[in-house]
Amino acid sequence: MPQATGRTDATRAVVFSPLDGAGRAELVEQRLTDAIVAGVLRDGERLPSESDLARSLGVAVVTAREALVALREKGLVQTRRGRDGGSFVTHDRDAAARMVDDRVRALSRIELRDLSLHYAAIAGMAAEIAADRASEDDLASLVEVDARADLTTPGGARRAVGRFQLEVAAVSQSPRLVHEELRLQAEAGPLLWLCLREQYSRDRSRTARLEVIQAIRDVQPERARRATTDHIASAVEWLIDEKVRLEQAPTPDAVEASGGATPEGGRP
Amino acid sequence: MTVTVDVAAEHIARRIASTIDPVFAMIDGWRDVLERELEGPFAGALTGASEPTAATLDPVVAALVSAELERDGTLITGAGFVAAPGFLVDAPWHLAWWLSGSNTFGAGPDPKLRRLEVVSDPDSEQFRDYTTLEWWRVPARTGTRHLTGPYVDYLCTDDYTVTITTPVRVGGEMAGLVGTDLYVARLEGVLLPVIRESGHPCTLVNASGRIVASTDARRATGALLRLDGLADALTPLRDDATATDAASLPGGEAVVPCGDTSLALVLEA
Repeated sequence: MPQATGRTDATRAVVFSPLDGAGRAELVEQRLTDAIVAGVLRDGERLPSESDLARSLGVAVVTAREALVALREKGLVQTRRGRDGGSFVTHDRDAAARMVDDRVRALSRIELRDLSLHYAAIAGMAAEIAADRASEDDLASLVEVDARADLTTPGGARRAVGRFQLEVAAVSQSPRLVHEELRLQAEAGPLLWLCLREQYSRDRSRTARLEVIQAIRDVQPERARRATTDHIASAVEWLIDEKVRLEQAPTPDAVEASGGATPEGGRP
Repeated sequence: MTVTVDVAAEHIARRIASTIDPVFAMIDGWRDVLERELEGPFAGALTGASEPTAATLDPVVAALVSAELERDGTLITGAGFVAAPGFLVDAPWHLAWWLSGSNTFGAGPDPKLRRLEVVSDPDSEQFRDYTTLEWWRVPARTGTRHLTGPYVDYLCTDDYTVTITTPVRVGGEMAGLVGTDLYVARLEGVLLPVIRESGHPCTLVNASGRIVASTDARRATGALLRLDGLADALTPLRDDATATDAASLPGGEAVVPCGDTSLALVLEA
């Protein structure tokens, strides 16, 4: 029963998909932190209950509870008691920005590039096969994902990128590529698409999407792959520039100042 | 040569239809039970309800589909009833859909028969209007069953799937539909031996020309079969499941619809 479960938002579905090597509260905590910080889960949104969360992530209930406690301590989640109770997302922009910066700092350039290479291998191959296998209906659904994209916010642009890449993977007709796409969106997405903070990157993401759609329409697999991998390459270049900026400016205020600057090496 | 191919093709096409027929018959049976329950002299016999509600209909649907979902060697991995918006008095949007134990999607460590969780609140951001989707849209338009796919069902079964749906009618209106999901890998296992019998290179495609199974190892399931004139020859299958006329392509291939499955057999000479 396709698309009937209401999990229409792929980037969101990814958040609650089973964890590989499950059983560690830190993994759950990281997954939810990334989603909250990236705006995939919104301010004030109610999270699934501990037991629902545990079931969808494939972890024990105590593990889910542990992760929620940690999120509460980080100030990302608030728990209310009573009939309308539960855990709610509390998105503090400054706290979120600091957390992302810490993650970017913690990973080496080598790790960042390797992660993006892995993702490009999967997404590029999916695009290549999709260009050969897309029916008219498939093309129409890709166009629709683009038409519904909200480029005015980082979260909106992020969701559009996630949905589009997942749809392309589905068009490739490969369950394994779809599975890997989902897994890597959860792992690499929160870092890789940080560039969507900036309007020109959001515009760039749309240009890339239109190029992929055109390549698929013209049955040009190589062009579809190239457009996809170029887009990912430009995202990681931005990320590494951002890492350099963070390392050179140790105070959090400096990050704010560099936010609007055009990064070196970022392709328009 | 062309005549021999056509005769062979039509024979195989009928066999393919009869392989899938039991699944069709099963769904038609569910439809009949629900239609009798919802209208006519036996209305309310199973639920004891005077008007259709999700609360009373769900156990009936569960009883209908669970035996088949749990049967050894079954082809199906999911099945149920989807209500037309507004038909049920207690649930404007409603899916009563069950997944079998072979379907491991979101099932945890011990997969067993379970209900598919859905968002049926239209105010939720995660809500999806299912009447826009192919498995609803096409049968709603044609009034008959439809085969959707193969496609990667990443939102439900997480696997390569075919969905078959057929309308349930009450008072001349579509009250909803019953349907089932099948794994393409299992379907291929049943269909390959049949299409091999033709002795010709032979490929089974859906109405979009997507390959379901082929005797030619280079023709991958999921790829589009690209042959001159094929798209035109398949057009009738997209709109009308009862189209049965065989066609010849400029390259000499024969295209034979497989009964009312909306699948077609392409025989290369």
